[in-house]
Parts: sequence; structure tokens; C-alpha cells
Amino acid sequence: MSHLTDIKVLFSRLSSMKTSINTLRYGVRKFSQGDKPLPKGSVTPLPPLSEPMPNLPPVVYSSAKSEDSITEVTTLSNGLRVASEKKFGQFCTAGVVIDSGPRYEVTYPNGISHFLEKLSFGATHKFPTRDVMLRELERHGGICDCQGSRDTTVYATSADSRGLEAVTQVLAEVTLRPQLSVEEIEAARQAVAFELETLAMRPEQETILMDMIHSAAYKGNTLGLPKTCPKENVNKIDRGVIINFLKNHYTPDRMVVAAVGVEHGPFVEYVQKYFVDSKPTWYSPDDKEFKPMTDRSIAQYTGGVEQEDCEIPLYPGSDLPELAHIVIGMESCSHGDPDFVATCVLNMMMGGGGSFSAGGPGKGMYTRLYTNVLNRYHWMFNATAYNHAYGDTGLFCVHSASPPNRIYDTALVIARELANMAGKVGENELRRAKTQLQSMLLMNLEARPVVFEDVGRQVLATGKRKPPSYFINEIEKITADDIVRVARRMLSKRPSVAARGKLSHLPAFEEIQSNMASSKSDSQGRRLNLFRA
Amino acid sequence: MLKVATTLRLLSKQQRLFATAANQHEALVNVPPTKLTVLDNGIRVATEDSGSATATVGLWIDAGSRYENSKNNGVAHFLEHMAFKGTSKRSQTDLELHVENMGAHLNAYTSREQTVFYAKCLANDVSSAIEILADIIQNSSLAEPEIERERGVILREMQDVESNLQEVVFDHLHATAFQGTPLGQTILGPTKNIKKISKSDLQQYIKTHYQPSRIVLSGAGGVEHGKLVDLAKKHLGGLKNTALDVPDITPCRYTGSEIRVRDDSMPLAHIAVAVEGAGWTDADNIPLMVANTLIGAWDRSQGGGANNASYLARAASLGNLCHSFQSFNTCYKDTGLWGIYFVSEPMQIEDMLYNIQSEWMKLCNSVTEGEVERAKNLLKTNMLLQLDGTTPVCEDIGRQILCYNRRIPIHELDARIEAVSVQNIREVCYKYLFDKCPAVAAVGPTEALPDYNRIRSGMYWLRV
Repeated sequence: MSHLTDIKVLFSRLSSMKTSINTLRYGVRKFSQGDKPLPKGSVTPLPPLSEPMPNLPPVVYSSAKSEDSITEVTTLSNGLRVASEKKFGQFCTAGVVIDSGPRYEVTYPNGISHFLEKLSFGATHKFPTRDVMLRELERHGGICDCQGSRDTTVYATSADSRGLEAVTQVLAEVTLRPQLSVEEIEAARQAVAFELETLAMRPEQETILMDMIHSAAYKGNTLGLPKTCPKENVNKIDRGVIINFLKNHYTPDRMVVAAVGVEHGPFVEYVQKYFVDSKPTWYSPDDKEFKPMTDRSIAQYTGGVEQEDCEIPLYPGSDLPELAHIVIGMESCSHGDPDFVATCVLNMMMGGGGSFSAGGPGKGMYTRLYTNVLNRYHWMFNATAYNHAYGDTGLFCVHSASPPNRIYDTALVIARELANMAGKVGENELRRAKTQLQSMLLMNLEARPVVFEDVGRQVLATGKRKPPSYFINEIEKITADDIVRVARRMLSKRPSVAARGKLSHLPAFEEIQSNMASSKSDSQGRRLNLFRA
Repeated sequence: MLKVATTLRLLSKQQRLFATAANQHEALVNVPPTKLTVLDNGIRVATEDSGSATATVGLWIDAGSRYENSKNNGVAHFLEHMAFKGTSKRSQTDLELHVENMGAHLNAYTSREQTVFYAKCLANDVSSAIEILADIIQNSSLAEPEIERERGVILREMQDVESNLQEVVFDHLHATAFQGTPLGQTILGPTKNIKKISKSDLQQYIKTHYQPSRIVLSGAGGVEHGKLVDLAKKHLGGLKNTALDVPDITPCRYTGSEIRVRDDSMPLAHIAVAVEGAGWTDADNIPLMVANTLIGAWDRSQGGGANNASYLARAASLGNLCHSFQSFNTCYKDTGLWGIYFVSEPMQIEDMLYNIQSEWMKLCNSVTEGEVERAKNLLKTNMLLQLDGTTPVCEDIGRQILCYNRRIPIHELDARIEAVSVQNIREVCYKYLFDKCPAVAAVGPTEALPDYNRIRSGMYWLRV
């Protein structure tokens, strides 16, 4: 690089800065079309959109009816469960919910589930390329996607209900008979690599932090395994590994085929035809003796700390300062636990969000993380509570972000706020949290795909679906004592901490732990003195 | 709270209709009808009652940054911020607690042509929600201390917007394409305006623009039309149209031109290229949307681009030409912007642009029936599936009533898309794209972006 080019670059920067200023102030260089504006009048031989089209047939609308939905479940001969629910409307959402995900990857290279997500809806035995399959879906106005959480993988499609058979076939093909050709795997490898690159370049940290807090909470086992493929595994995962994983995990007893907006009878028939009568790719008649091997261990909560001292990318072109992030978590309970609903209410009560998040009243402005934390300590940029519930355990955590020099205060403020959960619960805040949870539940269930996923997950976990009304009632029953009991139970265990960013001011793990434990008795006064804000 | 309408979305969660062939006697539509009532003072009340346990209701107002001039640019958005700061009936805290305790959500956004306030709530709380919305737009207290505080918040929001490069690029694109006209202004307004907007500016704006004849009350979910009409009469019936009638909007002139904000310290270039599109009601909009779907959208973490329906996605994925792209069709009353936004590494910009323009020229000359049919199918699917839930439906109703003064029935929309032929696509693209001066906005390391005259020369082919 010569001086000349340097100067050229510098010069061009200067001049580009100048032009940008000019453009804003004096208008830009004009390449005006001048005397030839677009001709008036449409080329399309139809009336404007504000006027009805002529010669349309008369139309008959349906009248609204909202029948109480009942979920029907049938178990097929090989153990596969089929669940469906009727819902008013011409569209249906159907899909497969599988008890598979990164939590089962302990004996495999981590990242298989990440690859599978990228490989989903690819070529299969029936459909030689993804294109052919997408065209089949498009014929029925369908779309598809695949998303996974730590312990569940969901393949879903939405389409016209009259295309149910075709959709069921597509679902069976993509879950049981994928081709997974070398080219496809290479493409997935590239997509995973790109995603890792993008994750590292983006200022948003949630994905990375959630992997870190799980890793801290369940060190080296089950739920602690990363959801994002680790960099060193991107080139390790090959067809053999993936097929082996599928063979062991995509088995009928670990799957639920669910649909919303369909008739149960025909649906079961189609599932029988495509999921049971046609065999998976990895099936061969000679290995009748084959016993799937899966990691059946129960999640071991370890607690502890996971931290990465690094530079967090800034939001480009903005004056927002660099942030350091910390997540403090505790073991909560599984979604089958009697305390699950109370934990959700507690989560709602803690609430929180970004200090400058968009949206008006209703985003939880009177939750504790706003009133006790964000509204008091203005250097904090974010404080949000999450509860992740799984089949055998749960993780309740609070994520917060602040400039690196405030990370010490941030960690302790959050720790004390968590300790405070075992203190007094106000009548109003409890009532509000309960109503908000109820309305959130109903609002989420407006969308058909959400109903589908709820049906699928519940049937996978318990064999049946409890209707929303059940949860509405359960939420109503929660008392202040329940909240305190749940909080005490969570606080009794070693916390987990994940932190990322410039961490020189991060308090020691023991200090965070002691701040979470100490305030069983009311030490409000001392607490304020200890702390400058 | 700021939202820019980037694509023309027409439809709601409505269902696919049965055949609409001419010999069919009736079209069955498996959705509730949209009912529309006009009150005496001109307020339009439109609902779709699906009987669900939750509902969304909102006020769609025909006012936005387009109605501002260089002096008061930013007022519409400022008002949106003042909306939740208390009214003559209730303080800010009362308002917030009331909404939070109902488990409802209150939200607002301003675009270049529309200002929207809406509430999402349990079906039983609809009357409460409407009372609040009506109170907000009629009795906002606009207290001086609040105005002062909100200035800071808006300036902070401006930082947020600046950190979203897509929004920055679209603001630049508007600034250059509609230079010298109100559509070229940003929604937030320049800093100097935000610093000096006064209470009287706000009051003046409300008086001029929040006229009942320009307001739509839209509802979806568990809402009964009759009940909503009664509530509207009760809470909004007192609004009067003042002598200041709906101002005639000045036609916004489009200018083919460019803005480059070069910053070599950024890793990726963010670029938008567009031509003048059609206004909301123009029948050409439907073929433009089909063309838009044909170009498609892609980002590289999707992978599998080699099998994507869009040729451009295949080219981008195989040649590693960009990180993401998305085509857009933004409509305004009398004009629009049709184009593409992409994010690319510096050395790939030129190849990406070449591929984009080749696809555009194909649209004008040699697009095939198979491609058009596929895009039509995709467009129908997207429009039908996209809006699932009460909020998207309510949004759709509100916007359509403002733009078309009616809600386009589902079977008509289907018929309109069905009527798009290859010839139609070619003619429409020829009209809007071929040999037209594009508007270009680019931010980042843009050195390798060809100069304007070369981009311009990619807008035609010297062949038949």
C-alpha cells in the first residue's frame, strides 16, 4: 500500500463526507427525467383498486363461530402419535414435533441439530430436489419451516386444508426420507458458517448468551450443550453422523404429527400411509434388532459461571455505547411441575425489557425490573426476565446489559432483585401479572402456527393437550404464597452466571451468589446505603 | 413506534377462495365479512368479527410526515410520542396502569401518510380500549414539561433509527427520489425541528389533520360491529370537521438521482435501487407486486439458494454476491417506489447490481409464463397466510379503508392476481422500469458501486 493510495482513500473519504453533507443541505445531483413523467393511466386493463372489479360472482361469507376446540389424539401401531384440532378457516397448519435437539447430542459432535435445521425441507426420495417439493407445496398455497429448541425440533407447514394429503406426504418425506446429498450438506455447512459469522458481527447477543447461560447451568450435560454449532465442528459433521443421529432420534415413539384446522379421521389415514406404511431411509429389514440409543439422562443442574471477555460489536452508525452483558439464572421447574404456572406468573411479575424499547403501555412498564431497576438506574440498557421450561427442569434467568464500567453494579442490582423475589408480593402487582399472563396466552393463541406448536408439544410431553381455559383457571388460582414458595425454591440453589463483553469489572461469582442469598431478612435500608446510584 | 410501510400488503388472514370462474354462481369465502359504517361526522367504522377471545381496535388517521413542511417536519411523529403522556381526563400514570392492569397493549406508529393508534386487548375490554383511544386523540394534555422530556426521547430514538441501516438507506432513498417534496422528508424530522417544536405546533397539527372525515376506526377479533359503531358515536361523535378542510396534497415529483454516504470503516455496503412505482389505487399495482414477488427476497443464512424460486436468489447464492436482498414495492397516494435493497461486501456490489438489472430487464422482455404463474401463486399464499391474528387483520382493514375507501374482498383480490398475464407483466415493467432513471441510495464502503451513468445504462437493452 503506497502513500498515494492512502491519500487517495483519505481524499475520497473527505470528499464523500462532503457530498453527503451537500446532499442533505442543498439537494443532490440531479439526473432528472425532467419533461417525461410517468404516463397517466394504468397499463393494466382493470379499474383502480378503489373500485370493485366488474363481473365478479356474488359472494357468500361465513359467519363467525368459535367452537371450543377439542384435541383428538390417536396412537398408531408403531407408537407414532397423531393429534389434531378443528379450527374454523380454509387453512391448516400441520407439522411434526420431535423429541430431538442439541440436548441429545452428547455422544455426537455438537451442532447436528443446527445442521438439520438448515437441511430441512430439502431433497427426499419422492422429491428429487427442494424445488420440486416447494412447487408441490406451492400448488396448495403452502409454506414451510423448521425450528428447533434445545429439546424439540419442529417441522411445520401451513397450506390450504384441501391439500392435506400432499402436505402430510411432504412432512413424512422430509422427516423420514431426506436424501441429505453431499451437495446439500455442503450448502448447509456454508449456511451454518455464514450464520456463525453473522452472529459474531451483530451487536445482538441473545442467541450467544442463551447458549452460555445454559452451558453454565448444565455444565457439559444435556441442556448445557450448545444450540449453535461450535466453529470447530462446522467441518466435522458429515452425512454419516447425521444419518446416525436421525436413525436414533427420529423414531416413531419420539414423534407427534399434529395439525390444526383439519378433520381427524382422514388425517390419521394419511399419516398411517406416509409415516407408517412407507419406511424411513435408514430402515433396512435386516436390522430388526436395532435398538435406538439416546441420551436418556436427566438434566443435571450444576450452576457456575461462563464468561467471555471480548469486544461486542457496536450498532453501526449510532452513538449507543459499547455494552457488556450479564445473565443470572437459577434452576426453576419443568413444565410438568405443579409450580410451573406460578413460575410463569413470577416471570411476568419480573417482566422488564429494554430501557428504550418501542411500544406504549402494555409492555410491562410496571413490572419489577422496570420499577425497581430500569427506572432507578439509568445507565442500565436492558433487564429482562425469561423462564425456559423443559421436560425435566427449567431455567429462570434475567438478562441485563450496561456499559462495561457499570457491569459490577449491574450484576449486584440484578442479584439483589432476584433475592427480593422471596420477599413481599404486592396484591396489585400479582393481580396485574396474572391478568397479563392470561391475556398474553390468549393473544399468542390467535395465530394458527402457535396453536399447532402448543398442541404438538403438549401431546409430545403428556399425551394430551390441556385447553387454554385450563391454564387461565390455573393462573387465576396463584397466590402470593405460591410466588414466594417458588422463589425460595429457586434461590436455594447455586446460581448460574453468563457474561460477555469487556468484563474487567465483573464481580466474582461468590459475590453475586452472596448477594442473592443474603436478603432473606428485610435489609432494605442497608441495601440502599451499600449502593451508590 | 416508528414504522415504515415497505411493502404493499393488502390482505388479511382471510382464506383462499373457491374458483372464481365466470360460470361460478357464488364465491364462498370462509371469513367473516368486513362491515363498514360511516358516522354523521364522517368517521368510518370497519370491523371483521371473528368472535375470538381477544381483539384489536385502532384509529387510522390520514395524516403523516407527508403533510408537513420543512418548518414543522417531525410534528406528526412528535404527537405520536405525546399520545401516551396523559390527557385532560387521566394522568400518564393512570393511563399506563389502566392499560397494564387490563393486560392490554397500546401502541402507535407514524408513517409518511398515516398515523395510527391501536390497542390489543381481551374482547371484554374493547369498550374500555376505545374510550382510551378516543381520549388520547381528542384530549391529549400536551403539557410543556412532557414536551421537553419527549424531545430527549425522540433524539434518542433517532440514534436507534440510525443504528438500523435499512431505515437509514430508505430515508436516503426517499430524500433523493422525492427531493424537494414532502415525501423526501424523514418521519422523525431533522434535529433542529425536534429541538424547537412547540405546544402550539402540536395543537395546530391536531386541529388541521385529526378531522373525523380522515379517521377510520378499525376492529378485528371479538368485536361486534353494532357495538363498535355505538362506542364510536359515544366517544368520537363529538369530533367536528372544521373549516380547514382536508388539504390537497401536492403531487410529489420523482427524480432519478443518487445519494452515496461512503464510509470505508463499515464492513458491508447497504444499497437500495428503485424506480418510481404506482400509487395505492393504481391497477398496475397488482402486476407490480407479482413482479416484486418474482424477484423475491433472500438472505444467506437461509442457504439452499440454489433451489430458490427466485433466479436472483440462485445467482446470489451460487456466486456469493450478497448477504441478503429484498425487493420492495412501497406505495403512496399518487406515487410509489419499486425496487430492491441489498447488503453486500464491497467487492461484490458490481456483480450483484449487474444481476439485479439483468433480472429487471428480463421482466420487461423475456419473463416466462412459468415464472409468472409461480410468482402469482406465491403472492397469493403470502398475502393469505401473512396476516394471522387480530392485529394484522385490524391493520389491514384500517389501511385499506384509508387507501381505497373500501376493503377489497378476498375473491376480488384473487381474481385480480389471477388476471395478471405474462404480457401484462412485461407491459407494466416496461412502463415503470425500462429506460427509467433509478433512484439510488448507498451507505458504507460504496467505492465499487458503479457510477450513476453506468447504473442508468443498465436500465435498457439495445435489443428487441
